[in-house]
Amino acid sequence: MKVLTLPQALPRALATEPTWIDRWDYGLLASALFLAGLGLVMVASASISIAAREVSDPLYFFWRQAAYLGFSLAIGAITLGVPTRIWQRLGPVLLVLGIVLLALVLLPGVGREVNGSTRWMKFGTLNLQPSEVMKVFLVIYLAGYLVRRTEEVRSRLGGFLKPVVLLSIIAALLLLEPDYGATVVLFATALGMMFLAGVPLMIFLVWVLVTVSFFACLMLAAPYRLERLMIFMNPWSDPYGSGFQLTQALIAIGRGEWFGVGLGASVQKLFYLPEAHTDFLFAVLAEELGLVGVVSVISLFAFIVIRAMQIGARAEKLGAPFCAYLAYGIGLLVALQSVINIGVNMGMLPTKGLTLPLMSYGGSSLVVSCLCIAILLRIDHELRAGP
Amino acid sequence: METRIENPVIWRRLSVVAILLLAFSGLVWRAIDLQLNRGEFLQMEGNARFLRVMKVPAHRGKILDRNGYPLAISTPVDSVWANPHELHPKGARFNRLVTLLGLDGRQLRRELEARKDREFVFLKRQLDPGLAERVMALGIDGVYLQREYRRYYPMGEVAAHVVGFTNVDDTGQEGIELAFEDRLKGTSGSKRVLRDRTGQSVADVEPIRAPKAGQDLVLSIDKRIQYLAYRTLLAAVKRNRARAGSAVVLDTRSGEVLAMVNQPSYNPNNRSDLVGSRFRNRAITDVFEPGSTAKPFTIAAALGSGRFGTDSLVDTSPGYLEVGKYLVKDIRNHGKIDLGTIVQKSSNVGASKIALALPPEELWQTFSRFGFGQVSGAGFPGEAAGVLNHYFEWGDVHKATLSYGYGISVTALQLARAYAAIANDGRLSPVTFEAANGKVKAARVISEEVALKLRRMLETVVTSGGTGTRAQLEGYRVAGKTGTVRKVTPSGYSEDRYVALFAGMAPMSSPRIVTVVVIDEPNAGDYYGGQVAAPAFAEITQGVLRLLGVAPDDRSLPLRQASATVPSRSVMERIQSALAQLKLPPERHAPEATR
Repeated sequence: MKVLTLPQALPRALATEPTWIDRWDYGLLASALFLAGLGLVMVASASISIAAREVSDPLYFFWRQAAYLGFSLAIGAITLGVPTRIWQRLGPVLLVLGIVLLALVLLPGVGREVNGSTRWMKFGTLNLQPSEVMKVFLVIYLAGYLVRRTEEVRSRLGGFLKPVVLLSIIAALLLLEPDYGATVVLFATALGMMFLAGVPLMIFLVWVLVTVSFFACLMLAAPYRLERLMIFMNPWSDPYGSGFQLTQALIAIGRGEWFGVGLGASVQKLFYLPEAHTDFLFAVLAEELGLVGVVSVISLFAFIVIRAMQIGARAEKLGAPFCAYLAYGIGLLVALQSVINIGVNMGMLPTKGLTLPLMSYGGSSLVVSCLCIAILLRIDHELRAGP
Repeated sequence: METRIENPVIWRRLSVVAILLLAFSGLVWRAIDLQLNRGEFLQMEGNARFLRVMKVPAHRGKILDRNGYPLAISTPVDSVWANPHELHPKGARFNRLVTLLGLDGRQLRRELEARKDREFVFLKRQLDPGLAERVMALGIDGVYLQREYRRYYPMGEVAAHVVGFTNVDDTGQEGIELAFEDRLKGTSGSKRVLRDRTGQSVADVEPIRAPKAGQDLVLSIDKRIQYLAYRTLLAAVKRNRARAGSAVVLDTRSGEVLAMVNQPSYNPNNRSDLVGSRFRNRAITDVFEPGSTAKPFTIAAALGSGRFGTDSLVDTSPGYLEVGKYLVKDIRNHGKIDLGTIVQKSSNVGASKIALALPPEELWQTFSRFGFGQVSGAGFPGEAAGVLNHYFEWGDVHKATLSYGYGISVTALQLARAYAAIANDGRLSPVTFEAANGKVKAARVISEEVALKLRRMLETVVTSGGTGTRAQLEGYRVAGKTGTVRKVTPSGYSEDRYVALFAGMAPMSSPRIVTVVVIDEPNAGDYYGGQVAAPAFAEITQGVLRLLGVAPDDRSLPLRQASATVPSRSVMERIQSALAQLKLPPERHAPEATR
């Protein structure tokens, strides 16, 4: 292969039309790959002791996560070649598939219960988490719906209520698992998408009010749930009971200081911090890599989210509303998921079982994250190619 | 491109982006707050959770015999403990734990519940490290190990009474372990360690205080002599179906205890064996009336007073003596006999007559100087002082009975010590259980000349016509005294319960060791000291002299030790049959023989 020097390459790039190779958002791709790579490293570090104790193989979780990542990248690469109109057309099918999976997981014998929640289905050695898949399927369907019913959504209550009813069914299925975190993420993402699609402000605000009151009633009906939920306000009041996990996470983060205690040197991962390699991976990262690592990760997530919003805006401008809503949806999904997870890790939000996209241990989460990024890249690619 | 005015999306998008950016900024702000501002508090909380000050147990000092053989050593073991806050007494793993430790699950649950407010409960102490490892492999939260040391006694019951034992906390409870606690015990140190939540130390952070091991202690006990004495005593007690027994072997010059054994004994390595009176060191804690073994001290007082010489004659006929309402009896009428014969024949009448002729003060002082009525100074826990009443309280009966060893009580060790003074040319050494180094401060109790005269008299006891002929040795001359004591019962002196005694020294020409044998309540027919205790004395003393490599001083017999090489079997047999034919040993020629 002939290597071009800068003086040679520059005029050529300026002179000619962008080639296929040039029509990709490499910044977005690099950010996502970096996060996924860092995630793999952190999973390895955070899980070594746990794996050594539970399955007598310190690298057990690392190898599994590496395999998931390879699989996810393959799915991502395939997705890059899938035109967005295919997704638009598949929307309703995917929605039905997602709902069926959500219903299936609730059937005894199919779903696998872990820590009191039935969230996983076993396929051979792999576990599928339907709620993860549902998130991206709903975003795809909703983007299509919003395009088909733009006028109805923007003018009539019905256009707004229909997806809300659908959402409520999904939420009910999720609450049966139960998976409050996923419910919140799905609701908020859908509402955000509809807000961006132009749902009348009054209707939107009333609905937000209704939803909030509903959750509030749910809480007040069972005060213990509220109490447990609100422990995050002051975890130190019960550091060995309900505040245990959070105080351990906070200690981990506090130990990090500027540059962290060094990769692999976390103490909190030595069984002090439960779920160190899954939901609380971020706390271990904060302990080992310090504020520098924390700010880098938050910035990269913010960058990906901003990119998604920019791509969405560009799509809207170029008259590709499906792509726009899809990009917004993915942006919201990634943003909500990462903000809630990191917020939970740092004790700003009540503890919910949510993964950190691209980074936490878990195959379903990783596949879906990569799928989302790949769809974003595809949208951007199509937009660059012109309408 | 057409701009759509009605498109509401621009401000909506901007507000969504603004909210999301605000959220991300909030995260960064929170991270700064946690990692920089509140870092110190959080690190402190963390340290409180995973930094622990761990005790570094110190080795307890070893107890060694005089040649460096171990009598008590500490081996590392692990104790399993639990934090009731963290241990959930449920599930299969908990049941496995209960099975491994051999505990009762329901009872353990109750105990854990009762101690809910504590953070430390021992589940099982002093496990074999291999088993402890298997317990930890179960990976149960709240179950931890603590390194401890367990005492092991290689000689077991043979040296049990002397060495004693420690309790589960490694503190001396009996014997030398208790007496020398301050020197043996180590001072445990401490260190700060990083622990993971399962309780495993992951890393040492800093040492705080170094552990200080206890000092080793070298005893005067000789393992081989101890074993020999134990075996011999055990056989004698069994053969005579006795209730109990003791034997003491002393070095005459240094006052070192070379061996001290008792029956019944116990195994200090098996705690379940620690019941009843088995672990009493009878040689030191139990007193008895010395009987005839006290006569040499009456004779010593007589010789020391100047009123009697070795050839002074005492009329013992008609074989009994009325003292007040009390009748002192001999076995038969010995007639007019000298002091040596009084000792040899063990004449109670003779001894009484001498005692009655002496001022009580002199008699009392002689007994007192020999150490009766006082502890020996060995510092052994539980030592009895015995009783020697002051002469103010004496009447004639008391004086008479004291002369042949009644109305006074002594321990086996006291008796051995007093005989050691006779052996050591009249100098009384303090008794010690530690290997002596350097000079011994001995106090003169009788003159060298009187001591020599006593030894000669005592030698006649084991020669033909004496009461202790069965104490004779091969190749060595022996001096000693038998004793047969009626035991005191609630209804006066018993008719059928005796203590059989023999106290003696060898080799006679320059005594190196004193051996005292006490057989309590022999029950197999024989009960005289000369029948029951003397053979055990002979066996022990013979063996000790060989073990110590003491040169024989009796050339009147063919010696097994005479040849440097081991004699062939036929030679051995010839010697033995010659000895058997002799029956009576030949006269031992001493220039100043008493008769």
